[in-house]
Amino acid sequence: MFDFLIHGFDVALTPLNLGLAFLGALLGTLFGALPGIGPINGIAILMPLAYTLGLPAESALILLAGVYTGAEYGGRMSSILLNVPGDAGAVMTTLDGHPLAKKGLAGPALGLSAVSSFVGATIAIIGLTLFAPMLAEVAVMFGPAEFFALMVFAFSSMAVMMGKDPIKTGIGAVLGVMIAMIGVDSGTGVMRYTFGMAELYDGIDFVVMIIGLFAISEILLMLEHANRSDASDEIPPVGRVMVSLKEVLSCKWAMIRSGIIGFIVGVLPGTGASVAGAVTYTTEKRISDKDNTFGTGNMRGLAAPEAGNNASAAGSFVPMLTLGIPGSGTTAVLLGALMLYNITPGPMLFTERPEVAGGLIASLYIGNIVLLALNLPLAGLFAKVLTIPRWVLVPAIAILAFVGVYQLHSDLMAIYLMLVIGIFGYLLRKLGFSLAPVILGYVLGGLMEDNLRRALSISGGDMGILWQSGISIGLWIAAVLLLVLPWLLPKLLPRKSLASA
Amino acid sequence: MKFNSAFLRWSAPLVMGAALMTGNAHAQSDSTECIAPAKPGGGYDLTCRLAANGLQETGLIDKPMMVTYMPGGIGAVAYNHVNGVRNDDPNLIVAASTGAAVNLALGKFGQYDASEVRWLGALGVDYGAIVVKADAPWQSLGDLMEDLKKRPNQIVFGAGGTVGSQDWMKAALTAKAAGISPRKLRYVAFEGGGESLAALLGKHIEVFTGDLSELRPHLESGKVRVLAALSEERVGEPYADIPTAAEQGYDVEWPIWRGYYMGPDVSDKAYNTWETRLEKLADNEQFAKMREARGLFPMARFGDDFDSYVKKQVAQFKQLAKEVGLTQ
Amino acid sequence: MRLAADRVLGIALIGLAAFAAFKATQFQVTFSYEPVGPKAFPILLSVVLTALSLVLIFRPGEDGEWPDKFVALKLAAVLLVLLGYALLFTRLGYLVTTFLAVLSLARLFEASWPKALLAAVLMALGSYYLFTLGLGISLPGGQWLPDFN
Repeated sequence: MFDFLIHGFDVALTPLNLGLAFLGALLGTLFGALPGIGPINGIAILMPLAYTLGLPAESALILLAGVYTGAEYGGRMSSILLNVPGDAGAVMTTLDGHPLAKKGLAGPALGLSAVSSFVGATIAIIGLTLFAPMLAEVAVMFGPAEFFALMVFAFSSMAVMMGKDPIKTGIGAVLGVMIAMIGVDSGTGVMRYTFGMAELYDGIDFVVMIIGLFAISEILLMLEHANRSDASDEIPPVGRVMVSLKEVLSCKWAMIRSGIIGFIVGVLPGTGASVAGAVTYTTEKRISDKDNTFGTGNMRGLAAPEAGNNASAAGSFVPMLTLGIPGSGTTAVLLGALMLYNITPGPMLFTERPEVAGGLIASLYIGNIVLLALNLPLAGLFAKVLTIPRWVLVPAIAILAFVGVYQLHSDLMAIYLMLVIGIFGYLLRKLGFSLAPVILGYVLGGLMEDNLRRALSISGGDMGILWQSGISIGLWIAAVLLLVLPWLLPKLLPRKSLASA
Repeated sequence: MKFNSAFLRWSAPLVMGAALMTGNAHAQSDSTECIAPAKPGGGYDLTCRLAANGLQETGLIDKPMMVTYMPGGIGAVAYNHVNGVRNDDPNLIVAASTGAAVNLALGKFGQYDASEVRWLGALGVDYGAIVVKADAPWQSLGDLMEDLKKRPNQIVFGAGGTVGSQDWMKAALTAKAAGISPRKLRYVAFEGGGESLAALLGKHIEVFTGDLSELRPHLESGKVRVLAALSEERVGEPYADIPTAAEQGYDVEWPIWRGYYMGPDVSDKAYNTWETRLEKLADNEQFAKMREARGLFPMARFGDDFDSYVKKQVAQFKQLAKEVGLTQ
Repeated sequence: MRLAADRVLGIALIGLAAFAAFKATQFQVTFSYEPVGPKAFPILLSVVLTALSLVLIFRPGEDGEWPDKFVALKLAAVLLVLLGYALLFTRLGYLVTTFLAVLSLARLFEASWPKALLAAVLMALGSYYLFTLGLGISLPGGQWLPDFN
């Protein structure tokens, strides 16, 4: 049964392919660490190179898969160090990662997130090896109605993030959903809020959105901070560099849980690392945030989304390899790369081209170990970014923001848009908003609307379709429980909770 | 004084930087570029890479061709950019397809219409296909059409584009061929062919109007049945067993060409250079293999021939859009 | 009623909601297959936003710390630098604009002239080579030397 894997390791362990896995991991980490340049661009940039060099199919795929997994590792760095997500999956990593860095724990935070990424990715790769063909069957059972129920579940799990200011969390999420409405309506082709500008037809791009909201507003806040009279603690203390074994072990369940959830989210076509990060973070907060320290630098709050987004990256290979259906934007590009080599993924890939399927999976195992080995020792080095003076750091952030957006759009309009969103983000943060609900509303809201409308056009308007399948019913019940239980449980068990308190 | 000495100290690297910059501006002027009016990974990316890799491997250009992404407005941003900013760039080509022609016909490219650019040529073509799941009740296009006439509003169609997109056009034309108004269909719009195909495999939709090339992995697996290819005549292996719609008595054709255009004010000399390049490329055997690897079938229309082909097509789509009531 | 930041925000958001809802009613659908349509979600969101904003107006939170005049001017300066960076990005090319942008930003963040100049030269050249040679990203070369072509 695992012949393809044994064969795969034979392929992946040749010097050329080992070298490529290493190169891919290194470049991927770099691409991921630079805000705005994520795995999609990294692969799109390297794909022609691999092809021009005349690499065989499995070698090219090993290089590109290394870039993909590497980018998911790298995305966390600027999240932790600068409060600017390095890529889409790393948005939730800012929530606890950056506070940890501010406390002087940047080194341990980087180390812990590297370990979490490793654990999450490993869980997902094992899942990919064992269950890929079976999961492919489950993935297609998710139709529009099931996706809608999944989004309802995701929104209700967000309720946990309401925290100290539920109204502003709500407003943030609504604003995020409203931003997602901009562009061509995918149901009818009607233009919504585009004001006749062609640049807005496709909506506001995710990268423009996160770079504007996070990076540009961060520059403005840094300026304010530098001019504050009480800016005595300008440079956060650089504490110890290595994460301790005890800290890692305290997060082991968070990593394992999030790895499994992230893998499942990744397997579903249409949901990617950003949704995985969101769902794992909120789930973990609900399960283990007993003393309400999530958002202030809780190690588990960092471990969960990192394990989750890396797991989803590996999970999105399932529909790609077994069905030929890309589970994320990045696997769509990888699929294009495979087509260059005249390889058409599908159920037959594992038997017909075992060196490709097996080689890829084996290289994921190897790349993952390479990445851990590369990232752990570097944590201390990267933590030093925090000691860079502001007059170097701020221009660097500006350069990265501009290049990131420009290389994606080749269009100045996108940069202007980024600046406008940056001012908007600055105002929101000054008014006490958290940016995470805005991003989540933006990501989930569009999916929610599209899938509700698709479901109802399938049924011809009959609402019954929304709770027809077992999967949807399960998700609806879970969503309702999430909202009701925290309120109901203390009432049902008054004495016990009092006693334990 | 202090400023002056600082200025002197730093002027050397400045001059160096300026020198590098001029070198760079110069270097960029004679290298070729292809704009893919989309994000990486889509059909336009593929179209640009087909030209870029093909021209380089066959030695028709010396330096690698740069591929630039300019997403926005389903190609409108790039169309406006080429019309407004780089209207006479002799080294720039832009990827286009049937989808662009549809959008031009529907007036989605703003103030510009099809005569605003110089259509250069097409290097390949894909064809639409009508696909159902392997266990569906319809064995042929005729079966589906008969059923559709009986209950037009009951059979769920799905494809990767909204009303008015080229993916939808395939469904609309199919309905028209059955004598049914496209407005009466039950149609679901997904994001791209992949999602629609997943929905077909999961039985959320019943008929998928997709493209032949994306079906390749699924032909072998036997999970789907292709009722008809929307091509003029049967295409080669591995699609040789698939009958065309015309053979089955329905006049539906949907070629999806993949080609390029240039700015409106490009000189005839530059335009002809490119035309010759593409013609030579199309005749190359090595290139034929590359084209096939991307799932594209041969198509060779260049220069004026292609220009009039596109303009005719846009005019047809305008007519069609009026008929189905998309535009007035 | 006290003029609190949250109240101003609440009123602005209600304005936004009204605008969004009004625009939504103007969407022209030639024909569509689905029962929900493009208007429902935006209108629903506008209603929710209005409701939440009303709560904000009646129960505003504490005012945050807002920048004084001097800092506000500096913020405006930073935004102007970024806007200029964007305006000149393709016209003057990556190297020149990046040099100028880094120089002005470093000065705004209180670097001395020599330090700022050093940072500007090193970062412009360093990032240029990192992006173009290292990562294969194409950057604008500038359109200011047309005679050379």
